[in-house]
Amino acid sequence: MKEFTYTIKDEIGIHARPAGNLVKLIKGFSSAVTIEKEGKAPINATALMKLMSLGVKCGDTVKFSIDGEDEEAAAKAIEEFMTANL
Amino acid sequence: MDYNKCASEILDAIGGKDNLASAAHCATRLRLVIADNGKVKKSVLENIDGVKGVFEAAGQLQVIIGTGTVNKVYDEFIKLAGVEAASKDDVKKAAAAKAPWYKRAIKTLGDIFVPIIPAIVATGLLCGLLGGLSKAFPDMADTPIYTLLDIFSNAALTFLPILIAVSAAKIFGANIYLGAVIGMIMIHPSLVNAWSVGGGTETSTLWSWFGLWNIQNTGYQGHVIPVVIAVLLLSVIEKWLHKRVPEMFDLFVTPLVSVLITGFLTMTVIGPVFSQLETWVLAGAQWLISIPFGIGSFLMGAAYAPTVVAGVHHMYNAIELSMLANNGMNTWMPIATAANVAQGAAALAVAVKTHNRKIKSMALPASLSAFMGITEPAIFGVNVRFVKPLVAGMIGGACGAAIASIMGVYATANGVTGLFGFLITTDTFVGYLLTFVVATVVAFVLSWILYKDAAEEAPAPAVEAKPAASYDDNCVYSPLKGAAVLMADVPDETFATDVLGMGAAVAPSEGKVIAPADGEVSTLFDTHHAIGLTLDNGMEMLIHVGINTVELNGEGYKAHVSEGDRVVRGQTLITFDIPLIQSKGYKTITPVIITNPDDFKDIHKAADGNVDFLDKLIETSK
Repeated sequence: MKEFTYTIKDEIGIHARPAGNLVKLIKGFSSAVTIEKEGKAPINATALMKLMSLGVKCGDTVKFSIDGEDEEAAAKAIEEFMTANL
Repeated sequence: MDYNKCASEILDAIGGKDNLASAAHCATRLRLVIADNGKVKKSVLENIDGVKGVFEAAGQLQVIIGTGTVNKVYDEFIKLAGVEAASKDDVKKAAAAKAPWYKRAIKTLGDIFVPIIPAIVATGLLCGLLGGLSKAFPDMADTPIYTLLDIFSNAALTFLPILIAVSAAKIFGANIYLGAVIGMIMIHPSLVNAWSVGGGTETSTLWSWFGLWNIQNTGYQGHVIPVVIAVLLLSVIEKWLHKRVPEMFDLFVTPLVSVLITGFLTMTVIGPVFSQLETWVLAGAQWLISIPFGIGSFLMGAAYAPTVVAGVHHMYNAIELSMLANNGMNTWMPIATAANVAQGAAALAVAVKTHNRKIKSMALPASLSAFMGITEPAIFGVNVRFVKPLVAGMIGGACGAAIASIMGVYATANGVTGLFGFLITTDTFVGYLLTFVVATVVAFVLSWILYKDAAEEAPAPAVEAKPAASYDDNCVYSPLKGAAVLMADVPDETFATDVLGMGAAVAPSEGKVIAPADGEVSTLFDTHHAIGLTLDNGMEMLIHVGINTVELNGEGYKAHVSEGDRVVRGQTLITFDIPLIQSKGYKTITPVIITNPDDFKDIHKAADGNVDFLDKLIETSK
């Protein structure tokens, strides 16, 4: 299991487009990924609707938990995606 | 293609209209439910000109006709088969007409009261607070600020008939200003205030009505039923005149005659009938509480709320005053408290139990106000509408009142009930507390058990629903009006490549998004440019108005629902300003996306060219 946190720098936060792209990326790995926003229950990161309803804004910190065979690669890819897009 | 011929041949082949249970259509197929499948001549059906295929699935006989033609064949088909394309509205109306008269009357009363609840709650709470404070600090009553606040607090209750008249006029379809006039007539300052009559002020006979009975010079402050009946009468007279008076005279003849007749009958017949009723209720109440062993109080505790519903409780003041004059012990007030807090507790149970946010947001303040002694919001806004909470409140009130009587609870003044009643029952504190608690607990528990959310309480669809007969769960009906566009043609890669899910897009011609089916709002973006729905048929849907419009930060968008709301097919979700959004350089094309596409086998656009609200937009199969 790998965990890391990321603080959103993008002005708009996780809205429809980045959410869709993030879900698509995560679905490419076999590991189970959850995202947790402070104060809310963790959600399955491939559930697009739930991800969008988290309402992640600029300045919010989210925690990713990745568990599975390809967790190393998945964690790296997600971190890269977050840094590049959010 | 001859649609009529095609439809009639299909009807023959399935064994005639007697063999048809129901008919619907999808983007390509007629979907028929057949009574006796043995009568269907499948080979004949398949060879009809226009029929591209026939198969049976999910209890339906599906006749494939094709996009763009199926609806035309369907139209002919239902004409021939005599199947009524019933709209949701019709069904609702039919269902409403079936309800017994008293249920319809109660529902109407509720509908009238609901819009004015904010006014009553605001002043009711203030009224209760002030009443309590002035009992706790008697000196306060002489301060100018109290005088001022007192005016605020009783304005809505003093002029209640006007508020009710306006709301009733809206419901009954009368002119609301004429309705207001009727309300004003009933509480005109030239008449003696009904509350002060209850308090002992003398009234005089205004007129001996054709020598038959005497009309008192009394207003109808605080009355509910007489004004509702008066406005109903107004609406009947007004509509009758509208139809018959020539247009050039209509503008002055109709209002004049309507007000004249309604006003006259209200003040001389409707009103006096209720005044007489009040006198009887008063006599009945006095007789009831004279029954010993708490039995009389028990019955009165139960009967109290219905007398509030009927608006004949204004004379109770007189009972209290005579008790106080007699021996200084007001034993009526604990009964009123039991009845009031029990109604409040019953409404509170509804507030806690319901999942309907609208009911919840109304029941909560209404209940609070009842605990302070102002019960109208709780009774009319909540309890009467659902009936069962009213009954629960009556039983709670009865139990509380019986306790009060057995324990000999009395107040040393009058004017307040509920929480503030503690201030004037210091001699019998424990008994009053027990009365309060018993009434509250019994009513709350019963109401909690009895109350259930009804499905029909959903708000009416904003857009007239399409014929229910042609509804198909596997189709998505357009939440927008405009041109249907393939998702692949949406000028944005994320949407075009189905990253978010599959579906179709609409280039809107009208700035409105409606619910494509019944469901729940799972996500509403703060910027109101996109909304996520979880539909009852299992579809999760994202409707994203415009491209990159998140950057507008809400400008040009207005949401009409909130996250977690239940929505019904046709309900308005978001409105948006197309010219404004376009003037900022954004496209308004709106992808309608099924975000759980893995649950469906096939998702494709099912409309060409322009679609209207609730036209078929996307077809799926499971």
